[in-house]
Amino acid sequence: MPPLGLPIYGQRAPGLETRRWRSVDQAATESELAPGEFPEGAAETPDGFGRRSFLQLLGASVALAGLEGCKPPREKVVSYVRPPADVTPSVPNAYATALARGGYAVGLVVTSWEGRPTKIEGNREHPASRGGTDAIAQAEILELYEPARLEGFVRGGRALGHVALLQELSALAKAHEKDGGARLRFLAEPTTSPTLGELRRRVLQRFPGARFDAWAPVGDDAARAGAQLAFGRALDPVHALADADVILSLESDLLALDGEPLRQSREFAARRTGGRMNRLYVAESAFTVTGGMADHRFRMRSADVLAFARAVCAELASRHGAGELAALGAPAQGDAAKRAAAVAADLARARGRSLVAAGLRQPAVVHALAAAMNAALGNAGRTVAYRPPALLDPDAGPARLATLAKELEDGKVDTLVVTAWNPLYTAPADLKLRERFPKAKDRVVLAYRDDETARAATWRLAASHALEAWGDLRARDGTVSIVQPLIQPLRASLTEVELLAAFVDAADAGTHRLVRDGWKARAGEQGFDARWDGWLAAGVAAGTAVAPETPAPDAARIAAAVRAAPPVPAGVEVGFAPDYKVLDGRYVENAWLQEFPDPITKVSWDNGAHLSDATARRLGVAQGDVIEVALHGRKVVAPVLVVPGHADDCVTLPLGYGQRAVGAVGDGVGFDAYALRTSDAPWFAVGAEVRKTGERHALATTQEHFQMNGRAIALALDQEAFGHEKRELEEHRGVPATILKPVDYTHQDYRWGMAIDLSRCIGCGACTVACQAENNIPVVGKEQVLRSREMHWLRVDRYYEGSPEDPKSVSQPLACVHCEAAPCEYVCPVNATVHGDEGLNEMVYNRCVGTRYCSNNCPYKVRRFNYLDYHGEMPTTLKMLQNPDVTVRARGVMEKCTYCTQRIERVRIGARSAGRKIGGDEIQSACQQACPTEAIVFGNLNDPGSAVSKRHADERRYDLLHELGTRPRTAYLVKLRNPNPELA
Amino acid sequence: MSTVRETVERREVLDPLETSPVLVGRPSDRDLTESLIEPVLGPTRKGWVILLLLLMGGMGFWLLSLGMTVFVGIGVWGNNIPVAWAFDITNFVWWIGIGHAGTLISAILLLFQQKWRTSINRFAEAMTLFAVAMAGMYPIIHLGRPWLFWWLIPYPSTNAIWPNFKSALPWDVFAISTYATVSFLFWYLGLIPDLATLRDAARSRTQRRIYGIMSFGWRGSARHWQHWRVGYLLLAGLSTPLVVSVHTIVSFDFAISQLPGWHTTIFPPYFVAGAIFSGFAMVVTLMVPARKFFNFEHVVTARHLDNMAKVILATGLMVAYGYVMEWFIAWYSGSEAEWFAFWNRVVGDYRGIYAMQIFCNVVAPQAFWFPSVRRSLVGLMVVSILVNVGMWAERFVIIAVTLTRDFIPGSWANYTPTWVDWGLLFGSMATFGVLFLLFLRFLPAIPISEVKELRRELEHADHHAADREARVHVERS
Repeated sequence: MPPLGLPIYGQRAPGLETRRWRSVDQAATESELAPGEFPEGAAETPDGFGRRSFLQLLGASVALAGLEGCKPPREKVVSYVRPPADVTPSVPNAYATALARGGYAVGLVVTSWEGRPTKIEGNREHPASRGGTDAIAQAEILELYEPARLEGFVRGGRALGHVALLQELSALAKAHEKDGGARLRFLAEPTTSPTLGELRRRVLQRFPGARFDAWAPVGDDAARAGAQLAFGRALDPVHALADADVILSLESDLLALDGEPLRQSREFAARRTGGRMNRLYVAESAFTVTGGMADHRFRMRSADVLAFARAVCAELASRHGAGELAALGAPAQGDAAKRAAAVAADLARARGRSLVAAGLRQPAVVHALAAAMNAALGNAGRTVAYRPPALLDPDAGPARLATLAKELEDGKVDTLVVTAWNPLYTAPADLKLRERFPKAKDRVVLAYRDDETARAATWRLAASHALEAWGDLRARDGTVSIVQPLIQPLRASLTEVELLAAFVDAADAGTHRLVRDGWKARAGEQGFDARWDGWLAAGVAAGTAVAPETPAPDAARIAAAVRAAPPVPAGVEVGFAPDYKVLDGRYVENAWLQEFPDPITKVSWDNGAHLSDATARRLGVAQGDVIEVALHGRKVVAPVLVVPGHADDCVTLPLGYGQRAVGAVGDGVGFDAYALRTSDAPWFAVGAEVRKTGERHALATTQEHFQMNGRAIALALDQEAFGHEKRELEEHRGVPATILKPVDYTHQDYRWGMAIDLSRCIGCGACTVACQAENNIPVVGKEQVLRSREMHWLRVDRYYEGSPEDPKSVSQPLACVHCEAAPCEYVCPVNATVHGDEGLNEMVYNRCVGTRYCSNNCPYKVRRFNYLDYHGEMPTTLKMLQNPDVTVRARGVMEKCTYCTQRIERVRIGARSAGRKIGGDEIQSACQQACPTEAIVFGNLNDPGSAVSKRHADERRYDLLHELGTRPRTAYLVKLRNPNPELA
Repeated sequence: MSTVRETVERREVLDPLETSPVLVGRPSDRDLTESLIEPVLGPTRKGWVILLLLLMGGMGFWLLSLGMTVFVGIGVWGNNIPVAWAFDITNFVWWIGIGHAGTLISAILLLFQQKWRTSINRFAEAMTLFAVAMAGMYPIIHLGRPWLFWWLIPYPSTNAIWPNFKSALPWDVFAISTYATVSFLFWYLGLIPDLATLRDAARSRTQRRIYGIMSFGWRGSARHWQHWRVGYLLLAGLSTPLVVSVHTIVSFDFAISQLPGWHTTIFPPYFVAGAIFSGFAMVVTLMVPARKFFNFEHVVTARHLDNMAKVILATGLMVAYGYVMEWFIAWYSGSEAEWFAFWNRVVGDYRGIYAMQIFCNVVAPQAFWFPSVRRSLVGLMVVSILVNVGMWAERFVIIAVTLTRDFIPGSWANYTPTWVDWGLLFGSMATFGVLFLLFLRFLPAIPISEVKELRRELEHADHHAADREARVHVERS
């Protein structure tokens, strides 16, 4: 059937062509590729990409196979005489690697099927992830297979092969030799890679006049600038939440974006249960994931956070004996004073066990104040430590970019090598990089996608994905991870290592050699091979961490900076915020992340101007009204998104959307907040004018009702109240009265069950995307989401409690709860959904005729229906992405969470072969594995020692909609809050 | 001695309970036959052709919508999660409800020997058949994979999977297929003597052949009549439980679920009453223009319309009682979700449709308390159309509006129909209209033999009346 141009993701007629394996553009340049230039498989037509090719390609991902890296590729392909020992067809392997986030490593373990990676998990050994992942890391695998990614190398419209490119780059480099590279500039992504560091050193050795600048639109430069202010040195603060009893976040989204959020959220969540519960205060403007977990959330404009921090300082100084803070403080008035007093008292009570964290959106002076408070409270060295940044570019802020822009303007740059992500789009508006960029003669751009910067390049080089290339990265604590590839590059592409190496004529060695040889030189020849293999296996190089320091802050300098801070005027503030889905915009083409509902607003396929209810009413606008936000003469048009709990007189604009040069996915999605962002006000600015345009824009939200209407759905109680209210929980658990004798599952070997601890859940949504990746869940597109047909098996419902102006929030992950008395089963006319003897509510896709009665009768509404052919004709690369253990569902059938039955079966096969029982905690569901806070556990309820059994027996346990008698296998644990009685 | 007609007219004055005759005058057999086969054998009328073409346009829309549904998927509708059933099942229940009047009139009223059913039964039965045909379409096309609908039928398959008899949907299959079959047989059996009449009166050879084959060699012998009569009564007996069972089972589709607003024990009687209510309304809607157009006023009299209006009023009151009981139980049960679901109907996003339901189904039929409204063609038309609209609204409120709000607020979402949804609703009306027009043109819409029989019965009664009067007269004199 021809494409109908239906409003389904991937089937929209204009987008279809660009989502194919080869775009028209690529087809034009294809003929110029030298034969034999590309590795077997990479240049083949999609249909030729068979199992055998993958087996051959596997070589690249297996370090032990002894292949010498990816490039230049080997052309000899010899079929296996004996299969490699560690590859069994249909049994996946896992390899440790790492991805960069803000230049720092996030340790991962990637599942690979005969050389085809399909799933990303966190690496338990890695200090930054500790086994968890976030939604973005989960979606990285889709980036790899993205059909619209760039391919090949083009210089001024002329396609180049790999060798020709290296030759021409070498010639370009040579031309810069005579003036020592004075007219050569590099604009890089901040990175910690020692290999890149070494290469940069070599490049600068050859071209002493050249310079590397780094630019990151979202980064923690302010934290380092704050350390510079406080300690005289740029240091990275490292927060240890495990020992923090009282935490004050000064707009720090430390559970989702700031610092090492995966580790921090895990440590934080561990302290939300049990006896010593921590207490979190958050002062912020936009509602963040961290704000959702706050015991007390103080909403205020971002510009007012400084005053609040000073008020806390003043309290600490005047009442709690922290005299060194006296010069920093300034008492507040009214409500704020009361809050500051309570926070200060609480912080002081927990001296040495408290923590003040400042967020990346706050200026250096707030970070310096946080450092001073931590020092005064004796937290330094206990809950907070400082480390010299492992980044090659500790300063990746607008100042460096401004210098480069000036040089471009003055015609001082001949060659600009851009490896930073899309600077033309992300650069502060006042730098006018779009106009200035073309002034460089040779504009070498290494880009993953055909973005705005790539289109303005004279050398457009396709970048390899991190899962296709060798490399190395360091975590914040300095721990090194070797990035090992999982697959040969799917497209002709280059790594940053190779590009830099080309400037010192070393690129023909290939990335693998460059990385490995570098480490050989660093670590010493002796026993290197075994150590290298060990690093690859573990994903971390042991003993490479750097010891933290606890320098003393210079109070006088901070005081001077505080005094120099200009007074905050009244007026409407515009805030810019990194987005939970697209971060700074680099994931705008990722369909999983586009469809992923924002953890706070539940908006998919869009961004909106966040406003509080009161501000919206004052401006006379409602959700979906299009407003024009003007700041210093710049304007942006955005739809209103009313967020309860947002600060008044403040409009927050998430970054990363509204890109002009994008593919089919990101096309026309959202508005560009960068248009208002200037180098002097990277995160917020007061003095905006907001005007209603009269237009409307439909925002696709996956959840429309955020109130529980007094029903017992997501239960949250104050810790103190829980003591005497827990008896009421008996109404929500236990065996419901029934006239039918329930089936007894306790004699079975296995009784699978799940428990979700709402105290731990921060609502980040990593589980949703992990489930999507594991279970081949299709993306449906904005029109379908507007029709409430999103397919996520696991959704995270979010509810507001309390006043609409200043609500508290509860997040509740909800997938099929596998009822023992399942309402869906008895209404299916064809027995397509039936009960397994281990208690799984099973869905037989082949048998389903699609009456949808099961969904109607499901009180949890967790079933998803293939209203249209959502998978459609998949491009070959997307076929490679599918998990071979999971059926790709057809049009017209119902689907839902299976408790990852494929994972159960895989473990069962292993256990049976070994003649043993499956351990109670041996199986991890995909959502559980991804969860950074260990909120979800899965296992055997018939094993009393399993984690899930213990949680089912917890005093906080309750069953959702217990009164219906469905006897769900997924139990919830009540969310506890720990409010300060002084603020009650 | 007065003429028969005068007697009838006088009785009209004398007996307030027998307000108007079921047959105007006592025309001869020949007159009756000729007037009743005229629409079939007479010339094609321009109005009929225009209306047919118009409705065939609507049928094209319906076919297009069906095609989209089957070839692209039911995603072309507005259904979603949580509202997995919407226009599809609403239309299904609406049509099947309309189909109830036929069996009721044919079977139950026959067994109760209600004379006024005679002239309208064929008409109502045809309406039933076509309504059931329209209704039967929806459960099939509403499936995600409609080509597998036969999996709901119990048959000894090699993979030994049977339908799930706990689910109400296989019961639906039995109920609807039985109903359709029995209704068809009943209708056709009733047609046989008239088909023979048509054969005998046919003007062309082709017509004679076709009607000849269709009349199965009916010669009108006493033995034929005897068998026919027994068969007809048997089928009437067989159909009687179906009047109750079909909509009872349709109501189980909802009642056996556990959704607030569906999980209600009053549904079976309430659905049956609603079905008869809407079925009679549809008969009136179709009959009022048809009797005018085809000159059936002498056999379908004001008496028929008056009686049907009374049935509408009675069943309307039953439906209203159902509404009240639903509210009472929602309150009495103390179930928060149930109470919320009912309030949501009144104050929720679809309150306009609920208001329409109450106005059309509860308020509008009260006009039938007034005899003048029951006799006024305009009044009958307006109220019966309102009832049809109201009953559709009721099913929409029960099915779709209930689904928009159930237990977990995080999953709530509204439903908006697409053009395909509207296409399937209005298109099915047009298709129904096409079938009905074809029926009116090619088959006798009024049962000729039964009307003739009725005339005899009436004459017989008239004679008795005349005798009585004569005796009274003699005694007086």
